[in-house]
Amino acid sequence: MSALLEKHIVELLQERNEKAISLLYEHYGDTLYGVAYKVVRNSDLAQDVLQESFVKIWKKSDTYDASKAKLFTWLFRITRNTAIDKLRSVNTKTDKEIQIDVSDVYNLGVESIKPDLIDVRENLDKIEDKYQIVLEALFFQGMTQQEASEELDIPLGTIKSRLKIGLRELKKIYNPSILLALVLNIVL
Amino acid sequence: MKEKIKIFLDSDLLEKYLLGATNDMESMQVERYIAMYPEVKKTYDELQDNLENYAKLHAIKTPEGLKEKIHARIKSERSGRKQFFRYAIAASIVACMFASASYFFYNQNQSLQQENSIVTNKIKTLEADMKQQLEDVRNQFIVLNNPQTKKYNVRGNKMAKDLKAVAYINPVKKLSYINVSKLPKLPEDQCYQMWAEVNGEMLNLGIIQEAASKDKLTALPYSDNAVSYITIEPKGGNVSPTTNKIVANIAY
Repeated sequence: MSALLEKHIVELLQERNEKAISLLYEHYGDTLYGVAYKVVRNSDLAQDVLQESFVKIWKKSDTYDASKAKLFTWLFRITRNTAIDKLRSVNTKTDKEIQIDVSDVYNLGVESIKPDLIDVRENLDKIEDKYQIVLEALFFQGMTQQEASEELDIPLGTIKSRLKIGLRELKKIYNPSILLALVLNIVL
Repeated sequence: MKEKIKIFLDSDLLEKYLLGATNDMESMQVERYIAMYPEVKKTYDELQDNLENYAKLHAIKTPEGLKEKIHARIKSERSGRKQFFRYAIAASIVACMFASASYFFYNQNQSLQQENSIVTNKIKTLEADMKQQLEDVRNQFIVLNNPQTKKYNVRGNKMAKDLKAVAYINPVKKLSYINVSKLPKLPEDQCYQMWAEVNGEMLNLGIIQEAASKDKLTALPYSDNAVSYITIEPKGGNVSPTTNKIVANIAY
């Protein structure tokens, strides 16, 4: 996301221009849907979450402070928290409904993935599982490091170091893809 | 200081803040660290970038129609707001009407209260007057009905031959009254005035109005060996009696 576009979207949001929602959906919709899906693991629920999140984004647009967080961080927080709240409310409603087969979830995710993201997804697979588990627990499962340590039965120090290494690995695989995109752009 | 930053970075506060999982107190602490230490700020920015990159890896194509649904929700949210404003305007109008009505009623209430206090005062005055009059009537009755009351017929001298008056004196109750029943006509610029000499002092008892005093008993100040006089005085009364114009006297 270019800083210029981000600034433009924020301006539109603060002017309460609905075009901001279109631009946000275009640029962040898939990512935020992915975040919602990762948390609730059900496409109907994820759609609800995304709708509610966008309404919240629209309502809270005047509270966004660019000095405190990047636009995506702010969007992510809203979506993740909405998704976690949704999951909790569904869990309390019907405990049974939530037992979805994990393999189904992953198939669904892969099927509907953007073709141009398959490369990175493959790249993601290159990150060792032990890092991925920690990243997922912290970023998507709504766990604190302490909770992840207890849940995954891994010492807290290990969680911390795996998070740091995992993020570093992530940077490694992500940066080449940007480079590649740039090279392709220049060549074409 | 380095140690402090290290402890902070080793805790998971910054990560929790990144994900929006901190409470208000924690958020304030993290924001303070970010503002104070460039090292923390740098780590936070890196975490933000990593989060975005990591989240993008999990992007899933949004289902068809979801965008339209979201737009519809936002639109209804907006019209809801518009409706809210409409209600707000209606409410303001009602509030204004209520305020002016209140003001009107307040004023009305104020003037009614004033009127009420005037009426109450009038009633009090009337009551006092009535008591006074009743007291007078009672005293008159006592005087008239008392066997010890003496009745004196008063007649005018040659200056007012037709003057007729009756005085009632009760030395026991120390009350005296006079009833002037007939007064000869006087020229327009003269009037009858009544006086009483009590303990050597001359008191002005006022002008006698013939019509009004016909059936009225006028109280006289009582004193042993008092003398009352009726004189002819210039119209409007005099400050002291004109002794050569005494037309009648009552000694008691």
